[in-house]
Amino acid sequence: MRIGFFVTCLVDAVRPRIGFASIQLLEAAGCTVEVPAAQTCCGQPGFNSGDRASGTRLAQVFLEQFESFDAVVAPSGSCVAMIRDYPGLFADQPALAERLQRLVSRTHELLDFLTHHAPQPLPAGALPLRATYHDSCSGLRNLGIKHQPRQLLATCDGVDLCEMRDAEICCGFGGSFSVKLGEIATRMADNKCNHALATQPDAILGGDLGCLLNIEGRLRRRGDQRTQVLHVAEVLAAGQLAASGELPAPGQFVGMPVTTKD
Amino acid sequence: MDATSHSFKRNVHARLGDEALQANLRRFGGGFADRRRDAVGRVDDFEALRDRASEIRAEVLTHLDHWLLAFEAEATRRGTAVHWAETGAEANQILLGIARAAGVQRVIKSKSMVSEESGLNAVLGAAGIEVTETDLGEYILQLADEPPSHIIAPAIHKSRDEVSALFAEHHGTPLTRDIPALCEEARQHLRPRFLQADMGVSGGNFLIAETGSVAIVTNEGNGRMVTTLPRVHVAITGIEKVLPTLDDLSAILRVLPRSATGQDITNYVSVLTGTRDAGADDGPEQNHVILVDNGRSRLLGGALHDALRCIRCGACMNHCPVYQNIGGHAYGWVYPGPIGAILTPAFLGLEKALDLPQASTLCAACEVVCPVRIPLPELMRTLREQEMEQGLRPWHERLSIRLWRWLALHPALYAVATRWGIRVLRWLAGKDGQVHRLPGLDGWTEGRDMPAPQGSTFRDQWRTQLAAREAQGKARAAATPVAMAAAGAARSKAP
Amino acid sequence: MSTARDRILARVRSGLGTRAGEVPDRPVRSPAPLARPVHDRVTDFRQRAESLQSTVDHVDEMDAVPLAVARYLAGLPPVTNGMVVWPELAALDWAGAGLAVEARSALSADQVGITGVCCAIAETGTLLLDSGPGHSATASLLPETHIAVVPVAVILERMEEAFAQVLARRGELPRAVNFISGPSRTADIEQTIVIGAHGPRRVHIVLVG
Repeated sequence: MRIGFFVTCLVDAVRPRIGFASIQLLEAAGCTVEVPAAQTCCGQPGFNSGDRASGTRLAQVFLEQFESFDAVVAPSGSCVAMIRDYPGLFADQPALAERLQRLVSRTHELLDFLTHHAPQPLPAGALPLRATYHDSCSGLRNLGIKHQPRQLLATCDGVDLCEMRDAEICCGFGGSFSVKLGEIATRMADNKCNHALATQPDAILGGDLGCLLNIEGRLRRRGDQRTQVLHVAEVLAAGQLAASGELPAPGQFVGMPVTTKD
Repeated sequence: MDATSHSFKRNVHARLGDEALQANLRRFGGGFADRRRDAVGRVDDFEALRDRASEIRAEVLTHLDHWLLAFEAEATRRGTAVHWAETGAEANQILLGIARAAGVQRVIKSKSMVSEESGLNAVLGAAGIEVTETDLGEYILQLADEPPSHIIAPAIHKSRDEVSALFAEHHGTPLTRDIPALCEEARQHLRPRFLQADMGVSGGNFLIAETGSVAIVTNEGNGRMVTTLPRVHVAITGIEKVLPTLDDLSAILRVLPRSATGQDITNYVSVLTGTRDAGADDGPEQNHVILVDNGRSRLLGGALHDALRCIRCGACMNHCPVYQNIGGHAYGWVYPGPIGAILTPAFLGLEKALDLPQASTLCAACEVVCPVRIPLPELMRTLREQEMEQGLRPWHERLSIRLWRWLALHPALYAVATRWGIRVLRWLAGKDGQVHRLPGLDGWTEGRDMPAPQGSTFRDQWRTQLAAREAQGKARAAATPVAMAAAGAARSKAP
Repeated sequence: MSTARDRILARVRSGLGTRAGEVPDRPVRSPAPLARPVHDRVTDFRQRAESLQSTVDHVDEMDAVPLAVARYLAGLPPVTNGMVVWPELAALDWAGAGLAVEARSALSADQVGITGVCCAIAETGTLLLDSGPGHSATASLLPETHIAVVPVAVILERMEEAFAQVLARRGELPRAVNFISGPSRTADIEQTIVIGAHGPRRVHIVLVG
């Protein structure tokens, strides 16, 4: 299965290792992965700010970049939810809407793809990690992503997933909301941190980097330098490596920002 | 009602800093969502009930003129006087006219959000007519001289101690922390008012076209008192509240209380038609309905049309994480929460409530519970589009979105811009890998750090690795960056 | 001169693109789905009424109602003020059960209101009381205790049937059709449910038959 990997802006810029982890997992699940070089953004930041053209114009770029693949995978529920909305933006151009519909129906969020659409299941992983999972809104409510991360994490031996209270309540990211109404966003992030930390996790996990940055940003501001905030893909990929004996020794890697102050 | 929706951010700042309010929101906020979940859990197929309710409401709106006239004809035939008001102010004048003609001195009211829109109480008060709110929450707020902060639990922002202090001040009774005792005090205090009133003013949850009836839904029984005891009853309600038939009412009532309070059925549903029955010894001698437009008709057929399906259950605010943190008053007008973020700009004008459509993460928690399937996030996004199109957003915001879109349509430039962005962020970041202050994005960095990028972009790194893979013919080059996560995780386990 | 009514209707029509006199075509629908299936009308009614904090008794025939009412009232603080009853129930032997009832509408000081019902609804455990001569609406509203006499034959499955029955019986709706589902309540202070807001504190149902 030939996959076009849509890395998403935030992963591309801020945390590339989520992209590498995703590709490692996709390959382990039997896919051939390509990364179209001219990809940019799904258009959501502009679209949700009231700029409809951000959606329509970038939908066409997406179509050009990805139409030739068997499937498209992105490590973000929010970007995939935006992409799933593309056909509806072209009610006046049925032919284009139809082409987009065919493409978006084979465009999947990473964890959903690995659970339901990949050629083969992931091999079991192993990683000692006490974690709690935040259900990101778009993935949960627009794409039905709920059991997928939990099922995948359950295949990783040693991952101890403790559910937090109000896991399904928004963390306050909301794209431009997090800047325009930062005071509310901060309060919502605070609530999320409180509920997450109550499970005493090593790591707070999620499937959308926007939420993860929001949660991590609040945690660090509160002075928590210990709790990691990771994408589920990072954990699964690390688990795969560890299971195959390739886990490097602790301390060998400099540059884990969250632990440099230990 | 005077709106403060234009100063939303200031309102929010004040509410987030109000410790007493925050404590109340935390303590009482979540109950509705839990009770709704339990009520839905007792139903075989709640989605089918939502489907039916949504169909009915959507269908009525497509021929609202017909159903309003059908209602008017039948209500008139049954002896109800039907009045039409274009604005809230007009509705107030109509009601005042009815009161004066009937020599009314004392009015008792059950809950009516439309009368909050129109500021009815102040107008009656100025005309020398005594008005008493009888819904317990509304009564508390009348004593406190505050507007409701929730459409079905108007005083949810008040604690028992605040209520007790108000009662002590107005009734001259000792303070108590006993909630049943406070309710009893209100009962004793309000009972004589019910008996002495000349006019009852109620809202109207629904108007039934088939029978010319007004349907009123309450738990306390005050709605029944208001519509049974005084010699004049006036229902004041929005033009969108009409339902074609009693069967439609039955279907809607399967979702309304479950969505609102998590009850299978509200205590009292009263379907009221015309005046006192011949030979009966209770019921009003005069019955009036005031149909209020106040901005509603403008929405029909337009982008916000679906918002008029609303049956005022409050589920959207009960499930809204923004509402749950700031409370209803911050929204600055009658309707708070997601539906308020749509209705306030729609009724008052977008320029009077610019921040309201932005006051949502579009998390869709409201949409998945709305009993009539109003696409609330979509409507908020539509209003954001209108703000953009009408030039109502700040120039720098419009410019930066255009610039961003232009870049995103030019992949090579977007890549360059991303590289530069990364450099700036890494340069700004402290030794801990966090940006503590980001000029231009203070909204973020006032309360949160911004985790700095890890290095070069994924696509730049990928290009390098792809070359390496091709050189080595080996597919494991991606291992290193991923392993960092594992290493970090392993380290954090160490004592 | 155009009126507010004309202007509102004109705006409605211009928004919707409808014309005056246009009659919508409503699709014929199957009956709305029930929220909860009704297996046995009497059992389900009883169970659901009790879940709404109504209390329920069951007697075989109308003549047994006064004694059942007396039995229920014996468990409450003594009735010192009035006990009113709908006239259609006045002929029962209340005196024989030791109860002094008056067939009139209720005043605020009355303590017990005894009513019949038009019908009852099994889906939700709800009573339907219609207004009209002899059917004082205040009897189920002002006294602290409302006692409703419900022949099991009038328990219907759903609200739609109840409306149909009222219309069939009377040709049109009476002034008030009151659906009552348990004693009055409020949760307006701290979301704490308190029974007995403005209306009755107790609803007792005597099933008959």
